[in-house]
Amino acid sequence: MTQNTQKNRCFLELRNIHKRFGGVHALRGVDLSLEAGEVYHLLGENGCGKSTVIKIMAGAHPPSEGQIVLDGEVFNELTPIQSLDFGIETVYQDLSLIPNLSVMENVALGEQLVEGHGRLLRRIDRARMQKTATKALSQVGLDVTPELMSTIVSELPLATRQLVAIARAIACEARLVIMDEPTTSLTRREVENLIDVVSRLRSQNVAVLFVTHKLEECYRIGGHAIVFRDGQCVAQGPIESYSRADLAELMTGRQISEKRYREGSPSEDTLMSLANFSMPGRFHNVGFNLRKGEVLGITGLSDSGRNELALAIAGIRPAASGTISINDKNIRIATASDSIDAGIAYVPEDRLSEGLFLSKSIYQNEVALILRKLAGFMGILDMKKGKEIAREISADMRLNTADIELPVSSLSGGNQQRVLIGRWLSINPEILVLHGPTVGVDVGSKDAIYQTIQKMAEDGMGLIIVSDDLPELLQNCDRILVMNAGEVVSDLNGASASEDDIYQAMLGSVQEGAA
Amino acid sequence: MSSAGTSNKPASGHVSASGQLQQRRGLGDLIAKKPELVTLGLLIAICIAVAIANPAFLQPSTLIDIGRASVVTGLFALGVFVILAAGGIDVSFTAIAALTMYSITLLAINHAPNMPIYVVFLIAVAGGIALGVLNGFLVYTLRVPSLIVTIGTQYLFRGGLLAFVGTTWIMELPGQMGTFGRISLLEFETANGATVSLPVYFLILPAAAILTWWIMRRTLMGRAIFSLGGSPDVTARLGYNVKIVHLFVFGYAGALAGLAGIVHVTANRLANPFDLVGTEIAVIAAVVLGGARITGGTGSVIGTMLGVLLVVVVDNVLVMVGIPSTWQRVFVGAFILLAAAFFVTRQRKFKPAK
Repeated sequence: MTQNTQKNRCFLELRNIHKRFGGVHALRGVDLSLEAGEVYHLLGENGCGKSTVIKIMAGAHPPSEGQIVLDGEVFNELTPIQSLDFGIETVYQDLSLIPNLSVMENVALGEQLVEGHGRLLRRIDRARMQKTATKALSQVGLDVTPELMSTIVSELPLATRQLVAIARAIACEARLVIMDEPTTSLTRREVENLIDVVSRLRSQNVAVLFVTHKLEECYRIGGHAIVFRDGQCVAQGPIESYSRADLAELMTGRQISEKRYREGSPSEDTLMSLANFSMPGRFHNVGFNLRKGEVLGITGLSDSGRNELALAIAGIRPAASGTISINDKNIRIATASDSIDAGIAYVPEDRLSEGLFLSKSIYQNEVALILRKLAGFMGILDMKKGKEIAREISADMRLNTADIELPVSSLSGGNQQRVLIGRWLSINPEILVLHGPTVGVDVGSKDAIYQTIQKMAEDGMGLIIVSDDLPELLQNCDRILVMNAGEVVSDLNGASASEDDIYQAMLGSVQEGAA
Repeated sequence: MSSAGTSNKPASGHVSASGQLQQRRGLGDLIAKKPELVTLGLLIAICIAVAIANPAFLQPSTLIDIGRASVVTGLFALGVFVILAAGGIDVSFTAIAALTMYSITLLAINHAPNMPIYVVFLIAVAGGIALGVLNGFLVYTLRVPSLIVTIGTQYLFRGGLLAFVGTTWIMELPGQMGTFGRISLLEFETANGATVSLPVYFLILPAAAILTWWIMRRTLMGRAIFSLGGSPDVTARLGYNVKIVHLFVFGYAGALAGLAGIVHVTANRLANPFDLVGTEIAVIAAVVLGGARITGGTGSVIGTMLGVLLVVVVDNVLVMVGIPSTWQRVFVGAFILLAAAFFVTRQRKFKPAK
């Protein structure tokens, strides 16, 4: 499409963009220009205006002030269809897939919609839809089968859905692909694939704008960093010219070190022990001990069985066989409430759909598990006591608001995660299983969450962190168990292991498959 | 049924790049994907039971009776299916039908008794579209749930009809409106020598069903309708014009209602302004029995037609085996509960493992 002679000309420019939502001034005069064939990393804490700026580019929100220039054409605002027409494709954080349509339709229908400039009374060209979808899906590394193409999106696991969303963005001839945290639920192998996709887009003179919290990936991909803080762009330049610490400081406005959070050490007493834990086809003969005050990491590729193991411990999808004992007492976990009764709390990976009641207040979310305790005469809830507890939890979790009546949906991702963890603390669990505790969470919130994790361990709780984020495990854990093909293949010391050690163990025998 | 067999084996073979996409097989899976099979099974079971109890059921005239009786309900049901797929609901379509059919009959009597039948249908469709689009416009601009809006407009349309247009029965239909209902497509002689005929107007139902199928499956509009029922916010974000989709679905349902109204008049050779309103729950029941979820985003034309057949068969055929007509409601009610419970447990079983 665009000729090479036009390379490096400015494709999209934002001029003095402001955006106000009611009283909130989300963007305060943003100037940006994006050139064809370049990769940009939009960095910043949650709530700094990144998502808003993306939505303005995608035409989902009109700016309150300022101009958008596309190919030299000046707009005061864009509609979604105009934006798509100019080749701006977005992978939203919530993926924005239509849950009840098939994978093929989700990926390739947009092409025909945009071509007709949004006209709906048109016949669908099914052959073309199939062709476009096949190409895009195989580019993101999915195995394109007729089953996959006709699968309804809501039946897919989260990681596949994320890949489908990326496939949709590259299905049309895009000129700017915006990806809002595209790698949150992807494994390393899938991320590698995405990085290939990015370099291919780049070679086709497409601009790519990444929004991410994973600095490690930004450095690997390279390109320009754009740092936002409080609705303004505070720095812009080649990403290599900034160190991690520089970026963290620019984002937060304060210094955050990449230190190891784990300082304490576990006691000698065994808190929980697992033996011969198995679920056919998922994990086999998993056994380990968790001591009081220990932080245990579990990692592996997403098909290594680590997710299923976490769900089995939480009783959500119980194991088929094996024993589990807590404080030397054998217990049986067949349902989620068995596990709660045994003192195990589980904070799920997908906090939006599995954990939080988004439209309800912080208070209602935090006391959701202790309603029975709050119920007094005739089951009437003691609201006053509940609010007191909620305030305590909020303070413990260092939420950035003191108003516990605010709906959880108004909080940033990091704060939402803290509400969810806080809820589980309300039942005083002995064991806390955290599944991807900082997925989609900014640097500042990560810091707060890690400090809470360490404090809980100090207080004698046993913690299990199931995560993909290797620096997170190394910074927080006493031991790290690495799973591969359903088995624990390695038990590493958190203080002395390196990312590379973990990576080797994760890939193990499947190494050539990953390369 | 086969539920236990399939659900206990989560790992029954899987394929995909990430190795996570489970592929489930078997009858349970088929039913989860094609809920209308349950409706079909139920329909066949009833027919077999009735045929055993009363062999007189097995003759062409029965089929013709059922066919004739399904036209009006079927047209309504197609409209309801389209609106349900878009995530809305409509209870005003019967009032739209009553208002248009009665007004047009009056118009024809007073001003143009020799109006050809196709003009009558055209005016009815246009009137239905206008009233339907009004529904869609209100739902979209007021952002009020469509149930509330259409309860309001049902009262408005019906009240308007009775207050301003008329309340008397019209027994003498003008010109072609009176004769159209009698033109027959096929004729059969029954065992006792009487002639039963399948009227020409029956053809309107399959034609409307095919058109609806084509719109829903083969056009961008159809996909936009399902999208809207699946996730309204995302649909808008992806560049679909949500307002047009709203106007279209309600307008389309209105058009079908207008059509159904005229069919009703010509078939009964009577224009009764008190007719039709009150049957909307049965129509919605038929659509839901056909596998469409009340929460939107699902359903099929085939399912809808099977649901209509089920309701009509129960209405018309139970008498043949000596079950009093007062019991029909009990049966329809039981079927709805049965089907609903069945679909819901299916959905739970087949909820994806996260």
